[in-house]
Amino acid sequence: MSLDFTPIFDSWRFLLGGLGLTLGLSALTIALSVIFGGALGLARCYGPAWLRLPLVFYIDSMRSIPVLVVLIWTYFALPVVTGVTLPPFWAATLALTAHISAYVAEIIRAGISSVRAGQERAAFALGMSRYRAIRDIVLPQALVRMLPAFGSILSITIKDTAIAAVIAVPEYMNRSQTVAGQSFHPIEVFIVAMIVYFLVLFPVTRVVDMVYARYGYLGRS
Amino acid sequence: MSYDWSVVWRNADVLWEGTKITVFLTVTTMVVAVPGGILLALMRLSRIKVLKAASVTFVEFFRNLPLILVIYTAYYILPVATGLRFSPITTAIVALSLNVSAYNGETFRAGIASIRKGQSEAGYALGMSRTRAMFEIVLPQAIRRVLPVLASTWVSLFKDTSLVSVISVGDLAFESMRVRSQTFRILEMLTAMAVIYWLLGYPQAKLVDWINKRSRVTE
Repeated sequence: MSLDFTPIFDSWRFLLGGLGLTLGLSALTIALSVIFGGALGLARCYGPAWLRLPLVFYIDSMRSIPVLVVLIWTYFALPVVTGVTLPPFWAATLALTAHISAYVAEIIRAGISSVRAGQERAAFALGMSRYRAIRDIVLPQALVRMLPAFGSILSITIKDTAIAAVIAVPEYMNRSQTVAGQSFHPIEVFIVAMIVYFLVLFPVTRVVDMVYARYGYLGRS
Repeated sequence: MSYDWSVVWRNADVLWEGTKITVFLTVTTMVVAVPGGILLALMRLSRIKVLKAASVTFVEFFRNLPLILVIYTAYYILPVATGLRFSPITTAIVALSLNVSAYNGETFRAGIASIRKGQSEAGYALGMSRTRAMFEIVLPQAIRRVLPVLASTWVSLFKDTSLVSVISVGDLAFESMRVRSQTFRILEMLTAMAVIYWLLGYPQAKLVDWINKRSRVTE
């Protein structure tokens, strides 16, 4: 079996553009998920009681449906309901954010509930308001403990953007399929895709580990 | 726009077949990936450097790749690399097993590392060999300790099986989308697909939460 990598060199600009879109979609999804998921998580922990049940239902539902199904539904079925067809990129952003936010909310909740109740009580005993106790005592400790989980969210999001290829978002995975189909060299194209994704994802996991090794002690109480 | 939900009932048998494939893929992959994970963890702890390096490389490689890419690559590479013909479902099981074995390898490694040294040392003191102490003392305790993590992996795997639809394995996602394109009942079929996944996945996710809660260590 002989490998011929020339098709990849011939279309390197096309593939590089796809990689840019992969990273852009990942960054946008992560930013939106942190905002939206953060709000969900805080509302679940500190919000009014009537809000908690629907939030828990939303979070648990998103955790039990495959991201592929969320993507496909958002792209194909949502336009039938709303009458508005989103371009693939924005449908993917919406679907991935809806999905990843639920995980972010879970991480926030787990982080907050891992700070033992004595910490908050001690803050009250010092005369702090509830808002200040949460902001200055609970959240700083919780955030450090959430670091490893947030790190895995980064790599999970980057990996999930590859699934957006099925709704024709022209990111790296999708463009690899295009090049594979046109060049009749799928093996070489997908081997290169594996190397590219690995080179993107491996440093992310390593940097997160390093950051946690450096600052993890701040979360101990 | 009027909806026609009867299309879901008329194709219930197809959806049922797809659901069976989804469950079959989940079970089969886990049956392969648990021994696979234990093997990788043991290789990682081995004194033989080559085995150790092979295990680290395997685990890091597959943990840092999108599963959908592994599935595509397996689809194209397996027949060429082995000279054999693979059915889509076999390809799917191979790709899923590679991915989940890597995660399980890391899980078992952490589990074994969490069993304190005195346990295996007590085994040696009783005259056990390294292998025997590992299999009779350390591993049984480690497996019990990592059960909650394995349960989480199970739920992730159940959801990830939907990705094999891209290589035409007739699982729930594939069959739903096929009926969608034949009948043009887009909303109905895709919603039915989501609901079936939800019905199967929600109890599993809740069960995993319960297992995790039970085994949680509180300060």
